[in-house]
Amino acid sequence: MKFPLGKILLVFLFVVLAVNFLIAQKPLQPVQEPGQESHQVPDGAGGSIQVAGPIGEAVSTGHGINYNGGPVLKGSPVPIYVIWYGNWNGTGSNTQTTVGTVETWLKTVGNTPYEHINTTYGDNTGNVSGNLTLGGAIFDTGSQGTRLSNNRLSNIVNRSFTNGLPKDTNGVYVVISASNISEQGFCSSFCGFHTAQTLSGTNIKWAFVGNVDRCPSGCEIQTTGPNSPATNVGGADGIINVLTHETEEAITDPDLNAWFDSSGQEDADKCNFNFGATLTCTTAVGCTPAAVTAGAKFNQTFGGHAYMMQQEWENAGTGFCAQHLP
Amino acid sequence: MPHGALKGLFSFMVATAVLAATQEPVSPKLTPTIITATKQVILFTGLERQVLQAIQKKDKSAVEAMTTDDFQIEMPDADPLAGPDWLDSVASRDFTLKSFVLRQMSVADLGDAAVVKYDRIQQATFKGKNDSGEFFVIDLWKKSGDSWRLANRYVARIAQVPASQKIQPKPTGKE
Repeated sequence: MKFPLGKILLVFLFVVLAVNFLIAQKPLQPVQEPGQESHQVPDGAGGSIQVAGPIGEAVSTGHGINYNGGPVLKGSPVPIYVIWYGNWNGTGSNTQTTVGTVETWLKTVGNTPYEHINTTYGDNTGNVSGNLTLGGAIFDTGSQGTRLSNNRLSNIVNRSFTNGLPKDTNGVYVVISASNISEQGFCSSFCGFHTAQTLSGTNIKWAFVGNVDRCPSGCEIQTTGPNSPATNVGGADGIINVLTHETEEAITDPDLNAWFDSSGQEDADKCNFNFGATLTCTTAVGCTPAAVTAGAKFNQTFGGHAYMMQQEWENAGTGFCAQHLP
Repeated sequence: MPHGALKGLFSFMVATAVLAATQEPVSPKLTPTIITATKQVILFTGLERQVLQAIQKKDKSAVEAMTTDDFQIEMPDADPLAGPDWLDSVASRDFTLKSFVLRQMSVADLGDAAVVKYDRIQQATFKGKNDSGEFFVIDLWKKSGDSWRLANRYVARIAQVPASQKIQPKPTGKE
């Protein structure tokens, strides 16, 4: 019997090449340490990439929201810098009364049982502190006109560094616009948003919150809120509600790669316009006379004031919308 | 608002959107942002989902209850499709809507009417062939008492999606 030596050599060569090829592929797979999870994260181009997950006790998962590997803001407090854009010496809710109400909220919400819900989120090196404060505030009466775009908002934040605000990668900048200011998508698609961007060479986390009185049916909770100076002037309370949403998310997902669920929803998105149990205003809890007269609703009290704020997703148990922790 | 005026407004908005898409010289970069959706976006996302879920279940009566009697669909390069014909088509055994994702929704609130715009990515088959794709949809909803009913739809396919491709809930992760 004659062996088909040529064919055997060919098959052998093929097997050797195939084995070499398979071995060469192995280093391309992510190396995973014991106890370490890996995650698929968006690559910004419609696909996803696999990254190593955290090791440590600061990250607790399995509560309806996923950790995607990025950092959280852990400052205690996290400074929130406000840029009041447009005319805030006007009428309705475009007034210094609104400015004062919102800034008072920022100075007092830190370390409340409400803000402590955020301490259930963390990254490889620690948890969110649950503390935030007003880091500074300036007015920009209209450097970019009355019709804004995302690019123009970037310009507003960028120019704030030379107009009184520090350049702080660990803080959150919020542009709050008066109700005569339009922004692409505001009122038709969103009430606010947050993002991260390199500005003047630094990674800056910034957000936009419009005066909800521009579209009460879309973004306002109630026409007269617990802090309304007069009936049907609910802008300040509505701004505070959106502001809590954006600051919560900017802290737990500052670079858009930390905490969100499989459908892309961040912690505050999961409870958007969900308030839980509410009570009717009285002067004893800090509501204004107009709020008491109108029977405005509230669900939080601190710093001598009552507020109506959406619940936040507590990253514990099965995960749920909560008003406070504990 | 009179019915004729509403339809005129809807046609104008559709024409404007189509013209804008074809004539816009600048394509703005996609800034990754995470939005706080308006109450109307939350409401109409829920309603659009209900319609699509009824189609998935082939529940004709549920779809009929959510559409006006004169509901019709308009598409590029085709005659308007009457609601009953559309419903027969999507509720037939020939069509299977496996999954869908809605994104980039915006709502123009006109009081008793609302114009809703969004992107729909679907995995579907029609007569055994892949009918998956990405669609740009403009819907006109009219308020009827306390509820909303779909009155008119403009829909255009803007991209093909391979049958094997898994739909990403948020392709960029952040919309």
